Amino acid sequence: MTTLRLRVAAAFAITACLVAGCSSSSDSGDTGGEAGGTYTIWDPYPQFDGSSDWVKLLTRCGTDAGVTVERTGYDTTDLTSKALLAAQQGNSPDVLIVDNPVVSTLADAGVLTTTDELKVDTSAIEPNLLAAGQIGGEAYGIPIGANTLALYYNKAVLDKAGVDPAAIKDWAALTAALEKVKASGKKGITFSAIGTEEGSFQFLPWFWGSGANLTQLDSAQGIAALELWNGWVKSGYAPNSVLNNTQTTSWQEFATGDFAFSENGTWQLANAKKTGFEYGIIPIPSQAGGTAPAPTGGEFVTAPVQAETGRYAVTEKLIGCLTSADNAYTTDTTLSYIAATEAVQQKQVAANEELKVWVDAVKAAKGRTSDDLGTKYPKISQPMWTAFQTALSGSASPADALKTAQTTAAAATK
Amino acid sequence: MTAASASQGRRRAAHDRAASPRRAPHARPAGRTKQHLKTALGLFFTAVMLFPVYWMINVSLTKDTDMRADPPRLLPLDGTLEGYRAVIEQQMPYLGTSLIVGLGTVALTLVLSAPAGFALAKLRPKGGGALSFVLLIAQMIPGIIMAMGFYAIYLRLGVLNTVPGLILADSTIAVPFGVLIFTAFMSGIPDELINAALIDGATRWRTFVSVILPVSRNAIVTVSLFAFLWAWSDFVFASTLDGGGDAQPITLGIYQYIGNNNQQWNAIMATAVVASIPATLLLIIAQRYVAAGVTAGAVKD
Amino acid sequence: MAHDVMTRVPASAPADVGARSPRRRKGRHWTAWAFLAPVVVYLVAFYAYPLYRNLDLSLRHYTVRSFVQGDAPFSGLDNYRTVFADPTFGPALLHTLVFTFVSIAFQFAIGLALAVFFAQNFRLSATLRALFLVPWLLPLIVSASTWTWMLNSDSGIVNTALELIHVDPVNWLTSPDWALTSVIIANIWIGIPFNLVVLYSGLQAIPADVYEAAAIDGATGWQRFWRITFPLLRPVSAITLLLGLVYTLKVFDIIWIMTKGGPADASTTFATWSYRLSFGNLLPEFGPGAAVGNLLIIMALFFGLLYIRFQRRQA
Repeated sequence: MTTLRLRVAAAFAITACLVAGCSSSSDSGDTGGEAGGTYTIWDPYPQFDGSSDWVKLLTRCGTDAGVTVERTGYDTTDLTSKALLAAQQGNSPDVLIVDNPVVSTLADAGVLTTTDELKVDTSAIEPNLLAAGQIGGEAYGIPIGANTLALYYNKAVLDKAGVDPAAIKDWAALTAALEKVKASGKKGITFSAIGTEEGSFQFLPWFWGSGANLTQLDSAQGIAALELWNGWVKSGYAPNSVLNNTQTTSWQEFATGDFAFSENGTWQLANAKKTGFEYGIIPIPSQAGGTAPAPTGGEFVTAPVQAETGRYAVTEKLIGCLTSADNAYTTDTTLSYIAATEAVQQKQVAANEELKVWVDAVKAAKGRTSDDLGTKYPKISQPMWTAFQTALSGSASPADALKTAQTTAAAATK
Repeated sequence: MTAASASQGRRRAAHDRAASPRRAPHARPAGRTKQHLKTALGLFFTAVMLFPVYWMINVSLTKDTDMRADPPRLLPLDGTLEGYRAVIEQQMPYLGTSLIVGLGTVALTLVLSAPAGFALAKLRPKGGGALSFVLLIAQMIPGIIMAMGFYAIYLRLGVLNTVPGLILADSTIAVPFGVLIFTAFMSGIPDELINAALIDGATRWRTFVSVILPVSRNAIVTVSLFAFLWAWSDFVFASTLDGGGDAQPITLGIYQYIGNNNQQWNAIMATAVVASIPATLLLIIAQRYVAAGVTAGAVKD
Repeated sequence: MAHDVMTRVPASAPADVGARSPRRRKGRHWTAWAFLAPVVVYLVAFYAYPLYRNLDLSLRHYTVRSFVQGDAPFSGLDNYRTVFADPTFGPALLHTLVFTFVSIAFQFAIGLALAVFFAQNFRLSATLRALFLVPWLLPLIVSASTWTWMLNSDSGIVNTALELIHVDPVNWLTSPDWALTSVIIANIWIGIPFNLVVLYSGLQAIPADVYEAAAIDGATGWQRFWRITFPLLRPVSAITLLLGLVYTLKVFDIIWIMTKGGPADASTTFATWSYRLSFGNLLPEFGPGAAVGNLLIIMALFFGLLYIRFQRRQA
């Protein structure tokens, strides 16, 4: 195998010479450990280019640590497999910023160092946020910030229907409100029930809000949650397009001004101001009343394992710089996230009163991989999204769909 | 064209064409009304075909708040140029990279496939048939599988996120196709032409360069066009092998508008509109040559 | 275009160029391979290794951990067994076949009809034909998203149009009965330009005097098409269909962008399934993903051999 690889590599090199000219040496991927040197950072923010605050921050942190930072922004859905492939080839970046449910997968693969190994201080981080990156008592990264879900509402639509948003404290009240909205000629609620992790993310507040647990998808509570969604779609309170909606699509629907509610995230705040109508935000109600736990979104700053452990000292400085109070404040403002530490959260609320409801929502939120689910979560999430897709498209009843999902999930997590 | 009738027909077509090159096989004396009717029908078909393209332009001009309006707006009357402003400001470097990648792919594809086509068509070595079959099969490997394999190789060689790396990967879409096309076109070149050159004492390489290539202009244009188009619209290789770094093609430039939670659809569509303009111009210009090239290739003695 | 290629290369008789003596033939042989060397090296470097890796991935038991550490145990055909036993297998196979054959049938029929139509020179015919190729220039993520837009259940233009003619709206992308149809429609749209180009060039090669003779015999337009155009176009058609098949089997992006293979598995094909296993989940399953990918290659190989047989019979 090695000889084959060598031969292939040689053949490759010859051909590469044809194109690039043999004199040109490789200019990337070299993570040699000389002092100073180049440190690589991968993040899932391709929307930020070299002129953005985010990239400037990375460069500054590198300069402070006395090294050059080479930053790459990848599409978030590609980043997991890319990080795994890179680790397999012994070419992991020094700092990797990934979506929080991925942390446990990468940790399980042995790709990430623990925060203890790296001597990073996590004491100030809110425990419910840190939990998404903890497996077996070890933390594998630091949240850069957090976001979660709540219900945006359109004031004019609710006024016309005679609904008081402050009175919506449980599912029954919400469904009743949707009925009134429909009767007044407007549309009820829009969300994203797409067959990907994004859909699971949106389903979880209802699932958890019923008291259901991810280890038992077809419990009576779980079925009640799916029946809630299913009832809305069947009664026309929610559009059929939710089945194919991403969170952006569902936001666009809300932005038309026709919908009363939209289940959406912290990151839409900036867009909400652009809609041109008055809006408000309420927490997602649970079945019995009160605020339902919504899943935490947002990325973790992690440090992949390196062959040369000498690099960790600088990596620690970089991570410390990225997550320091001042920088976290800037970053979370740019991303429209809520900070992961109490102190910075207060600073955010002081600067913008509107964030209060979101800070509360983040405090009540829960990591998807928490409860020590870790890498079991993806194996449960996929059957779960298949279940709500099956039920909402009318192929099976909510109970049957969840029963099938539970069988699949149980077999996969055994 | 192994069927005797077809090859014979071709031969005659060649003469026919020589006499009246711009004549279409179906052209018959037809009334002016009939001509107009056909043009009208053609316009109608084209309109139906291009309706999705129109819709893309429509979305690119739509304001965020109207994107999911029900019923949808047929005309972007109350539109916005926000998307285009973003694209003009941000996408030009990506367009440049795409251009370089496209042209690089064309060059590499030509360099590799033209000599191979010549060898297969005119020198006919043992094992040539098998090689042709391998080339046929090579086209069947899904891009995503290729990309995964490439990733490991590229990482080791440090050509990940480089323009030459992407050119190399993109050329794998076009090279098998190019070899097969060149083989077809060059078998149409009369042997006498080559023999004459050989008798004059030219080496085979010299013959290839100074006799074969000049008469293969049409084949070169055809292969170039396809190589360029594939490289231009490639997404799988670009996202797997060139997802980071400074030089990204336009298909990845779109990702500027696809955040991890949010997508700016008018800018995404505007990028596609802007990106397709140079390619469309190229297509319309090359269209004449391609039609001619394809025909010339199919017609040989 | 491509038609000549495939037909000629395996089947042609060696018309020799300067190969009168055995020595010269041997010399020519070596020169030929010298010309071919770059491509052979290229094939080995770029096709052999990805193929080998994909085979290796499909024959080992990979967890995320062993994928990274590289110590995955050899598991023989276990991944293939997993894939065969998966409830997705049956529907995915069926959808792959339906998607491929229906797409090709329509792409080909429409492409041929348009090729015949555009072959009658009329005003603007060349320009309009060029415009037909525009869909080819768009990044797939954009063209597929545009279709998603148009087919949206609530705010899509297609349903709005249906409403105007008093037809009930259809849940194009979200109903299990329609999702596959919708992605097929979009795929047909994308495939028409390719078929049009190849078949048009094939038509150009049919000599006009054959038609003139037929016209003298008093053949109608329809008869001319069936008796002359279609038979003479058969070799071109064969290669168009084969290339169409290869390209269609590989399609995953259109489906992935439009429906993610859903709702549930209603529009999952092998290509999207393979992608979902390897990349579409938080926890990648490279082994089964590679196995599904290899099944696709085997399918393509099967049709390739079928084509070669057809070719031999023709000869």
